[in-house]
Amino acid sequence: MQRLEQQPFDQRPTAGSPSSEDLELVAGVLRKDRKATAEFVARYADALYGYVRSRLAPQYEHVEDLVQEVFLTSWQSLSQYRGAGPLKAWVMGIARHKVEDYYRERLRAPESIENADLEPDKSTSVPEMYRLLEQDELQKNTQRVLAALPEQYRLVLLWRYWERASAREMALKTGKTEKAIERLLARARAEFRERWNHGQSS
Amino acid sequence: MASLRDDEFMTKIADAVELSEAEPAPARLKARLYSALVQQQVQTGPLMSLSETRTSGHQLCVFEQLVRIAPVGEKAKSLNICRVCHARVLAEHLDNPPIYWSGCPYVALKKS
Repeated sequence: MQRLEQQPFDQRPTAGSPSSEDLELVAGVLRKDRKATAEFVARYADALYGYVRSRLAPQYEHVEDLVQEVFLTSWQSLSQYRGAGPLKAWVMGIARHKVEDYYRERLRAPESIENADLEPDKSTSVPEMYRLLEQDELQKNTQRVLAALPEQYRLVLLWRYWERASAREMALKTGKTEKAIERLLARARAEFRERWNHGQSS
Repeated sequence: MASLRDDEFMTKIADAVELSEAEPAPARLKARLYSALVQQQVQTGPLMSLSETRTSGHQLCVFEQLVRIAPVGEKAKSLNICRVCHARVLAEHLDNPPIYWSGCPYVALKKS
């Protein structure tokens, strides 16, 4: 019961504070007011869906189940929400945990790409990276390269760089050694860089 | 020429690119989420009665209103009557379900 208070799901700094609307909504959902429950879904479904989709792309088949898990867990934990921050940040924190659980489960599977040659970290020139200066293009290229990577490479990069988990955390959660995670990360980065530089998506 | 190692390269990319997708959740998913939540609420006891729901300022749909004024006990007014409503079935399966009456949570979710 103390976990949510002492170690909120959302570890990132968030702007703003809970509004009285947030607290009213929580109270309504906890009283099992069906209209408040519908409002809860209407208010957060789009943001949660967009976030989960972006973290699972391009394999979308688990997105809806994961979003549903987020809502059900939110309901189960809602009595522990004390309004220490905005409700949206709290719900998004639960989503981050669910995404991490998904990564953990997928990365626990034996690596099919274990024996791929590991090249030492190569340098990537700044001009190559910023060859695509436009934000839109940068975004599209990143999504394209991520989508084309083998699943384990993609997930480990998303977890490490977009969810900001350390290799140690990832090792603890997947039951692998830190060294194994570092090796997987190194291979994933190298593959990302290759595809980025050569524009190869397949 | 300045260079970046792969780790720095990835860090810079992740800092520069926010991956969140702006695509809204499909209406049928919202309907299913609502149904799942209410179903889970029911498992731990009755829902807020329709009389209380109305008193707290919410609009009821035509079917909820009928149950609210029917000569039945409060217990019946706390049931999940959406469970047997055709609007729920349509909303859970269609992205643009043909449901339009006011006060229905599924109609509200369709519009959200």
